[in-house]
Order: sequence, then structure tokens, then C-alpha cells
Amino acid sequence: MSDWEILRQLDTVKAPPDFEQRVMAQLSLRKRTERRRRAILRWSMAGSFATLAAAAVLLNIFVFQGRSPFGIADRGKDITPASSLVQRAAHERTIQIIETLDYRTEMRSRSAEPETVYLLEQVSDTTPRGVKY
Amino acid sequence: MDDQELIRQVQEGDEMAFGTIVSAYKDRIVNYLYQFTGDYQKAVELSQETFLRVYFKAKQYRPVAPLSSWIYAIASNLAKTELKRTKKFAAVSLDDIAAHEVRQKAYAADPPDPGLIRNLREALEALHPRYRVPVVLKDVEGFSQEEIAQILKKPVGTIKARISRGRSFLKKRLEKALAGGTYVA
Repeated sequence: MSDWEILRQLDTVKAPPDFEQRVMAQLSLRKRTERRRRAILRWSMAGSFATLAAAAVLLNIFVFQGRSPFGIADRGKDITPASSLVQRAAHERTIQIIETLDYRTEMRSRSAEPETVYLLEQVSDTTPRGVKY
Repeated sequence: MDDQELIRQVQEGDEMAFGTIVSAYKDRIVNYLYQFTGDYQKAVELSQETFLRVYFKAKQYRPVAPLSSWIYAIASNLAKTELKRTKKFAAVSLDDIAAHEVRQKAYAADPPDPGLIRNLREALEALHPRYRVPVVLKDVEGFSQEEIAQILKKPVGTIKARISRGRSFLKKRLEKALAGGTYVA
């Protein structure tokens, strides 16, 4: 017999007779609590998302409306913001047409003088000498 | 139906299988926790909590170890947490244990008298949970060192050392008690 078998002779106890019923009752209670907790979590998440979405819409309508990047960039400068020009143009119902421009051809066609042709020949200041034919 | 089949059914939410597991292990777990805490009501409460965790954490169970080891692991963790919460155990220096010369007396040679059992229980309650858990699992519940290592997720060498130190401490306390000395648990 081992020295430590004395520990096996400590008074042993058993579970109370209604132990299983208590456990099952606790189990159903926990399940109900867990279901409720999950429902609360789900609804609170949905509520949070809805609130965020509403806040984003309201901010867009009341705070950020009418502000373009041009306006934000020109803020504080003593110039007319580009955004106001764009807005004015939009208000006057003008149609902006953008076309490409080749300045080389444009300038040539606007010149009134006839075209000049330059003939280049070699010029020398030295006297020709000793040239015999 | 074996334990693995039962726990597989519990994983699918079968309460009948869960009830079978509770019936099979309730006495062992209540007794284990009673030996650990020394308080029957607390042992019953902790056992209930143990089985509830078995149900709700059944999906975390992996059949690498016997179901009993897993249930005992849950019970041990709960008991340790409870003891930490109540701070019931007394701090014991391991140097005291190491310096103590263990007398080779067979405590179980004679029939246990109530005084000895009471002293043993007091000594057990004064033992730090780190040593109490392996000692109770080994000497009360009859697990092997390898099984205890599996339950506590520690190396076998650590478990051996803890059992040895725990036993030394218990011997020291019992010797003091047998010698008629008084001690504070």
C-alpha cells in the first residue's frame, strides 16, 4: 500500500439526488439568456448601422452640400473660387466645349504676309586668289 | 454508447446525450471538487458550472484525449479560479518543503482515524492549487501522471515534481500535527 493511499480514504461525497435536474434547469436558463443576449446584440448592431447611415445622409445634406473640392482648396485665399465660376456657368446654362488647339498651324494661318523662302549660300570675305581656269 | 459518441451528439445540441454525460460523471466531479475545495455546497455549484461549460464548449472538444480528462480539466480550472477569487489557500514557501527531511512513515498503514483525516484535509486545503490539483488527481482520483499531464496541459516532468512537492508539504504538515504541534492552516 502506498503512503499516499490515505488520501483515498478521505470522506467521499456524491452529487445530490436532484443534481441532474438542477443542471438541466440551469442549462435551459442559460440557453434562454444566451438567445436574448444574441438578439440584443443583433438589434444593437443593426441600430448602430442605421444610425451611422442616417448620420451620413444628414451630414451630406446639411453640411457637405455645395462644397466642392475647388471651394475647399481656395478657402482662405483672396480670390474668387473656381467653384463659383463653375457654378455660375452652370447657372447660366452655358455649354462648355473643349476642343484641342494646335498653335503652330493656327499662327501660320493668321500671318498676312506671303511665305518667305530663304536660300542659304556660303559667303566668304576672303579674296579669291590663284584660281586659274 | 461510448463517451466520444455522446460528446459528438452533444456537439449537435442533443440534451439527452448531455444528460447521460452528467449522470456518468456527476459523482466523480462533485467528489473531486469537494476534495479540492473542502466545501460541499461550493463543490456542487462548481460541478454544475463544469457541466454547463461542457455543454456550451462541446464544439471545442477534440478527441485527442479522453472525455473524462477534458471534463476534469474544466473542473480544475474552475476550482483554481474559485480559489484565487476567495484567496483561501495559504502561501507556502517551497524552500521550506525542500529543507524538510521527509520521514519514511507509512501513513496509511493504520486505519485512518478522524483526527488524521481532519488534519489531512486541513493540510490539503493549505496547499497551493498548483500542487493540490495534481496531488488530488493522482492520489484521490487515481489518474496516472501522463493523464494528469494531459488534463493540466503540462509536461510529465512538471507534474511529477509538483506531486512530489505537494506530498512533501502534506507530510510535513501531518508530522507536525502528529507530533502534537499546532499550526495555522
